[in-house]
Amino acid sequence: MPDVMDINNNILVAENLVKHFPINLSGIFKKKWIAVKAVDGINFSVKQGECFGLVGESGSGKSTTAYMTVGTYAPTSGSLVFKGEDIARPAVKRPMHLKKDIQIVFQDPGSSLNPMRNIQNILEMPLRVHNMIKKGNSIEKKVIDLLDRVELPSHYRFKSPITLGGGERQMVAIARALATKPSFMVLDEPTSALDVSVQGKIINRLIRLQKEFGLTYLFITHDLSLMRNVATRIAIMYLGKIAEIASANEFFQKPLHPYTQMLLSSIPILFDEEAKLKPNKIHSVGEIPSPVDVPPGCSFNTRCPFKTDICFVEDPVMREIEPEHYARCHNI
Amino acid sequence: MSETLLDIKNLHVWFKVYGGVLKVLNGVNFNVKFGEKVGLVGEAGCGKTTTMKALLRVLPNLALIPEGDIFVRGKNILKLNSRELADLRGRGLSMIFQDPTSALNPVFTIGQQLYDIIKYSAGSSGQKVANKKNVALSALYEARLPDAERMLDSYPIQLSGGMRQRVCIAFAIATARDLLIADEPTTNLDVTIQDQVLRLIRDLVEKKGASLILITHSLGLAREITERVYVMYAGNMIEMAATSLLFKKPFHPYTQGLLSSVPRLSGGGFAEGIPGRIPDYRNPPPGCRFEPRCQYAFEPCSKAMPPYINVGDGHQVACYLYQDVQGDRKNA
Amino acid sequence: MTTEGMLTSSSLKNPWGRTLYSLKRTWYKFSRNWLSVLGLVIVVTIVFLAVFAPYVAPYPQHAGKFVDFKGKNQPPSWQHLMGTDTIGRDILSRIIFAFRNALLMAIVVLAVSVPLGTLTGLTAGYYSGTWTDTVIMRVTDVFISIPPIILALSIAAVLKPTLMNSMIAVTVSWWPWYTRMTYSLASSIKNEYYVQAAELTGASKIYILFHEILPNCSSSLFTKMALDVGWVTLVGAALSFVGLGEQPPKPALGTMIAEGVERMPAQWWIALFPALAIMFVVLGFNLFGDGIRDALSPEEA
Repeated sequence: MPDVMDINNNILVAENLVKHFPINLSGIFKKKWIAVKAVDGINFSVKQGECFGLVGESGSGKSTTAYMTVGTYAPTSGSLVFKGEDIARPAVKRPMHLKKDIQIVFQDPGSSLNPMRNIQNILEMPLRVHNMIKKGNSIEKKVIDLLDRVELPSHYRFKSPITLGGGERQMVAIARALATKPSFMVLDEPTSALDVSVQGKIINRLIRLQKEFGLTYLFITHDLSLMRNVATRIAIMYLGKIAEIASANEFFQKPLHPYTQMLLSSIPILFDEEAKLKPNKIHSVGEIPSPVDVPPGCSFNTRCPFKTDICFVEDPVMREIEPEHYARCHNI
Repeated sequence: MSETLLDIKNLHVWFKVYGGVLKVLNGVNFNVKFGEKVGLVGEAGCGKTTTMKALLRVLPNLALIPEGDIFVRGKNILKLNSRELADLRGRGLSMIFQDPTSALNPVFTIGQQLYDIIKYSAGSSGQKVANKKNVALSALYEARLPDAERMLDSYPIQLSGGMRQRVCIAFAIATARDLLIADEPTTNLDVTIQDQVLRLIRDLVEKKGASLILITHSLGLAREITERVYVMYAGNMIEMAATSLLFKKPFHPYTQGLLSSVPRLSGGGFAEGIPGRIPDYRNPPPGCRFEPRCQYAFEPCSKAMPPYINVGDGHQVACYLYQDVQGDRKNA
Repeated sequence: MTTEGMLTSSSLKNPWGRTLYSLKRTWYKFSRNWLSVLGLVIVVTIVFLAVFAPYVAPYPQHAGKFVDFKGKNQPPSWQHLMGTDTIGRDILSRIIFAFRNALLMAIVVLAVSVPLGTLTGLTAGYYSGTWTDTVIMRVTDVFISIPPIILALSIAAVLKPTLMNSMIAVTVSWWPWYTRMTYSLASSIKNEYYVQAAELTGASKIYILFHEILPNCSSSLFTKMALDVGWVTLVGAALSFVGLGEQPPKPALGTMIAEGVERMPAQWWIALFPALAIMFVVLGFNLFGDGIRDALSPEEA
């Protein structure tokens, strides 16, 4: 399958992507359905070779977006195009070459590896499924090769995941994702469940692997300090919509959207030099409204310190405020 | 000393398992004064939860305490009988857990659970608490929960994560306590809610004149809330200092490694983390437990666990690299 | 955090080393409770007696056509440790031979129920929420609602009462319980991340069912199988008590109790010892099953 990218070298393009989950609240006599608006119309594009970061809190829709990319869910509407091919359908309906090309590393290393199998079996699975074993090359050698790439010793293939630490398990999950030689990897909070001292090792390895194999990453996290050091471009989501997209430098040095500023001002930091980079303290108030009950107008109006009258009436559209720096707010 | 509320002296805790004994805690020294906010920082597997469980006397049956004492207000709580223990739990200590969803019983309303706590807070004296409802309402009000009357009749499943954690805080401060133990209280919450909840804990603790032990793996949080911090590694407290001092100038190689692993908001990529893994508790290193991973290890490190060295201003380090400093000598 | 202790990298490379290590570890988990070891001893005893019955029983010929009216209704003595029955046969020997039929019934019933129940349960659980699930589970519900003894009676009324027919009756009412158990396990396991990872990579459904989901059901399955040997024996005894199952003169525990009931309380040993034997079997397999559950339980951090 030839690599088909558009003129901007975009490997993944999402347009008006929507995912609503219907919940049936019907009683015996009356029918009632409500929709959880997990993702409510987003537009973004990921260039080949970059690390695109998706930030947001719970209920923002970042995980749902990731899962739509990999194929766990099909979008309710909108388009999702990967290398020129439409992937707006669930994985069961996708051709095998797509399943080979797009891989995911899950958040929880504890449950992303089957505890009743050993590492050899776990890593063999994708190789067997995609018939990647050539004659003459034993499968064991390929598994040792994969372990080597994530810098784990070869005798680990006999171990069961329970005997590994969290960081090592996550390495195995990464090795499993790399087994099919993908070009696109979705990393769903890969280090959130891990200790800080292990996090650095994993992220550094991920960055090295990206360079070595020319991968493109869709990196999801809620940890902004982590994102600062990993992503090249960042989009922040709130209640199913993207609030701001910018390059990593711009995002942190000149956050435009009030939600971005609120998030940045809430993170705990360690060093004084970082304190200077934080925007002035915007004390966060209130909680994220439920995605079932999105407020009319701009969905951030329940918590925004800069809200004006128009914010309750009209939902803002994404505008390019500065070159390659987009935000969705009436008051910028 | 009369101003010390909690004093853990040389605590050893062992667990019986297949093939031997896990020598988890290796002589832990930890104290908290009245009205003080102390942080306990350490990564997964370092023994901080075990220490707290020993303090609350809820260690599993397979655990032994071969050596060490825990004094609360001068009384050795390892030697209490069940009546005195009920007193301690009803009136002296309270705990806020990491996961508010599993800390709240889903089949009882908030009100019912709160009344139970108020009832048992009388301890062994058996007195009836007058006006349980007022006490409950004022606790919910202090925890900044809206609509306290309706909250009493709500079930935990109707609340969001942040609200549940605030309910747990209300449970903890409903009756007068000397010591509040918060075990990773905000790990499962969003960053903006985390900020609110932590400020609430800090304000309440200050208002009631209680002491706080904040257990966390996030150094940033410890920096924001506490006055004094202990750093724990593999069953030992390896460093202790006033918060501002610790973060400005960490002495122990582990603390230095930990601080350098935290991603900065100012960018700059990731450090490689700390090589190696936590030791096998069945066969821990005979000397300093960090020695196998320490880049500065030299001759005495493998012989015996280093004692606490005073490096001035109440800053203590368990490391052979340093020597006692004359002058400011405060006990741990 | 788990410690590997004795498992060094060199012993890992040797396949025998790995097997030995995991056997030792399983034994440790099993033997922590002395009752489980007791259960194991009882189970081994029963199996040994059943397999070597002709060599172990003091009067093997009493298990067949044998009559000795002179020696009938003898109380327990050194020649006949459990006494003799109404036609002079040694009760101990008959019990030992009856174990054979009990175990045979258990093996046959489980050999059919377990694969059938597990397959249907896995499929229904994996496709839970769809028509496949509904169809399979409602059919299962129909079979579950049939009481085994009534079914056995009906089958006996239509066909001859034999051991084979009572085995069929018990099997028909037994397999749905495996479906139920596997169904609830499979429908929760299918939401785990490792199953999703396999699906997203494109693994076939057969692979996912047998290599990802089934291994995680194995501990519950083996535990239930161990316990079930005892329960099948009990149901089989109930059936032979009412005359279904192995017909005389072949010995069956239930039949022996039925013969002895009329003679109570004067010749108490004729009914009591077979009843104790049933209790022995059920107790032994229950304790053993508990031990299996402990032995196969996942490692704790």
